[in-house]
Amino acid sequence: MKKFLLPVLLIISFNAMAQIKANDVNSFTLKNGMKFLVVEDNSIPNANMYLFFKVGSRNEHQGITGLSHFFEHMMFNGSKKYGPKMFDRTMEFNGGANNAYTTENVTVYTDWFPASALEVMFDLESDRIANLSIDPKMVESERGVVLSERSTGLENSPWRVLLEGLQATAFQEHPYHWPVIGYEDDMKNWTQADLEKYFRTYYAPNNCVVVISGAVKTQNVKALAEKYFASIPAQPEPEPVHIVEPEQKGERTITIQKDVATPYLAVGYHVPDAKSKDFYALVLLKEILSNGKSSRLHKALVEDKQLATMVSASYDESFDPTLFFVYAMSAKENGDSILEQEIYTEIEKIKTGGVGERELQKVKNQKLMEFYNQIETINGKSNNIGTYEVFFGDYKKMFDAPSEYNKVTADDIKRVANEYLKKRNRTVGILKTNVDN
Amino acid sequence: MKKISLIIFAVLCTGLSLVKAQYKLPAYEKFKLSNGLTVYLMEKHEVPVISLSAIFPAGAIYDGSKAGLASITANTLMTGSVNIPKAKLDEELDFMAANIDMFSSKEFSGLRSKFASKYKNRVLDIIKNILLNPAFDKSEFEKEKSRTLVNLEQAKESPRAVIASYFDKAVYGNHVYGNVVSGTTSSVKGISIDDVKRFYNENYYPEGSAIAVVGDFKTPEMKKMISELFSSWKKSTSKHTNAASNPISYPTEANVVLVNKDDARETTFYIGAPGINRNNPDYVAISVLNTYFGGRFTSLLNDELRVNSGLTYGARSVFSPLKNGGTFYISSFTANKTTAEALDLAIQVLQKFHAGGITEENLASAKNYIKGQFPPSYETAGQLANLLTQMYWYDFNESFINNFEKNVDELTVDKAKNIIHKYFPSDKLQFVLIGKADEINMIAEKFGKVKMMDIKNDIP
Repeated sequence: MKKFLLPVLLIISFNAMAQIKANDVNSFTLKNGMKFLVVEDNSIPNANMYLFFKVGSRNEHQGITGLSHFFEHMMFNGSKKYGPKMFDRTMEFNGGANNAYTTENVTVYTDWFPASALEVMFDLESDRIANLSIDPKMVESERGVVLSERSTGLENSPWRVLLEGLQATAFQEHPYHWPVIGYEDDMKNWTQADLEKYFRTYYAPNNCVVVISGAVKTQNVKALAEKYFASIPAQPEPEPVHIVEPEQKGERTITIQKDVATPYLAVGYHVPDAKSKDFYALVLLKEILSNGKSSRLHKALVEDKQLATMVSASYDESFDPTLFFVYAMSAKENGDSILEQEIYTEIEKIKTGGVGERELQKVKNQKLMEFYNQIETINGKSNNIGTYEVFFGDYKKMFDAPSEYNKVTADDIKRVANEYLKKRNRTVGILKTNVDN
Repeated sequence: MKKISLIIFAVLCTGLSLVKAQYKLPAYEKFKLSNGLTVYLMEKHEVPVISLSAIFPAGAIYDGSKAGLASITANTLMTGSVNIPKAKLDEELDFMAANIDMFSSKEFSGLRSKFASKYKNRVLDIIKNILLNPAFDKSEFEKEKSRTLVNLEQAKESPRAVIASYFDKAVYGNHVYGNVVSGTTSSVKGISIDDVKRFYNENYYPEGSAIAVVGDFKTPEMKKMISELFSSWKKSTSKHTNAASNPISYPTEANVVLVNKDDARETTFYIGAPGINRNNPDYVAISVLNTYFGGRFTSLLNDELRVNSGLTYGARSVFSPLKNGGTFYISSFTANKTTAEALDLAIQVLQKFHAGGITEENLASAKNYIKGQFPPSYETAGQLANLLTQMYWYDFNESFINNFEKNVDELTVDKAKNIIHKYFPSDKLQFVLIGKADEINMIAEKFGKVKMMDIKNDIP
């Protein structure tokens, strides 16, 4: 962590420091196209390995929805050298733990281990990437596991139902239309051939970025990468996702019945992907709307008018144009329509009146603090470096982010609010008990 | 390269200790102010950030007849002080990107804060004002109360959000450890601003509290600041007794609490029994064995219920220790129609653990795992500040950290046998099942005396 030492300086000077820090990420690429990013950090005697595969539910089609996520599970179920169960058993015997996650865009595998077990991780990871075996028996028991994962998500949070419905309404053609977990009927129908094809196409070294942070030496990582990964052959580039969601030409709404104490509300606006010039302004707009108790929506709806018990906004990195969300839980039993109107009122205030300088500085300060939080742990470093490399095309952009945020002006915020947060561009989802009157 | 090839060798010959992490707690200073407030300071300069954690003897065990009082008192403290009204407080903290949260648990309440070190003067001053000069504004309290009431209703939509409270009631019965921290709809309705003031006056006092500050500062300067800010906090005049010191009457037979949820698609369940106190001398050994039984992915429980049978997305077991008592539980969830199968299997795994104990190889694996995963739990300033307040509360010191590996290593297969029999339950199990009652009530009867409830009602 020493390498990321950031003295207490004004935010303005942040950019200058950041330029030095990017150099602390060591990078190399194997001949088969597999890219490695390494951060040496001796703050604890541990290390991690994050493998980002550029495949997610956007690479699926109807009939195989949920397959990316199911594949994430199958990656733990046996390969040539380490048969069923042996990946986890070997990892845990060596003091390591792991997890993985799948989004619309990427599938990420995460290993956390004592630094002394680094070579074991290379052995385990290279074995499953080179030689995964897809055992039909394991496919069947794992199918039960993901069906349970889907069910427990729906059982414990109405948000899951609402956001799946909203997303399906906002995206009519693009694959962001279906949920990452998949349709239940597709989940019961994935075939062996689907899985094998998926593995060949997407689990290629040239479709993967590996990030390692912790008490390691780059030279050693490089030697291990050559030893374990260099012999895995590259594959042809996967077919690009060619569907572009047509422009939305009018407000859409979706209502879902579920017995709940008070209504749940979500609004999604179509916005561009992470490489857009408006990305940073949209992120700051999101913070102005909902980060902290003094944020526009929280202050107005939760504190002052007490129409909501919570309100939040989100806008995440993506490869394709995505949604800017506002979510709220109504404080009152039949409070959804007034809550919805008040959300628009607050958004309109920004569109016409803009934001204040202190308010803008506030969210810039929040971004800087967020950056500190991200680099406080070796896991935060790997996850963020990988995210920037994959979504922005270059890990160095992570270090430019604070200056990119600093460049955003009050006028930019007002402009993007007007450009994207408009009625014709939004989809509204409401989940409540009584939907019949 | 030599060292690494040795490790590969060790993987093949099981039973060796692979993980030599040698994690030691960084140096810190501990002192007491004249009013009895205990202070911990630890410098950590990697990022220009400070984390603060404070602990007060003001947990839900002091709620009395007003369940949720400790929790709403903690939340009300965040609604402004005499000299800083709430709106100003919120804006100022947001501007500095500083974060202050208050919360309550069974035994204590706490404050956690994280802020850029350049703002330390102002943020510490705000923290002092929140704690020592609360405004107890009636309208802010009423807002807090109505939000709490809606949140309580919303929690009833999620089995995961409420199951622990049902379970604690089942194990602790009428003892204060059974108190529901969040309160219930009917109890919170009965709480007034005067109750909150009284609770604050009785339960927030310096001689029972501690503050830990970890991060980017110089110790002498921070010592001076904390001393100046908090020495005006008056010692309490009344005598305090630990509300949890009364003996607990644990259940004498197997019981099943069946909580109906009309629209349930799955059954969420806990199976458990009394556990251990935090100061149990076998704490580390128990942690190692629980890792093997239900504390990691390849654990006996997860292996059977998830990997072998596909009945669930996850199954685990937890020891949840307090000062004077504790619980142990197995937790999982499964589709309505596989409820019986999953419950039977979980109990079988427990029985097998009792009968079979742990092998040399599996013990080595559990030890390596728990040691390997230990350092990342104490990596950040926030984690370390919380650790220091836990040390205060449960009366242990850095030897817990520094001797952790040694204590883990000392566990043998023979000792493990005794620990399993002594601390992992084998009978009088307590069950909580949240699911569709008319589909699972016949199953419930198999396991003990059934008490029927409904998730839409308050936790009794």
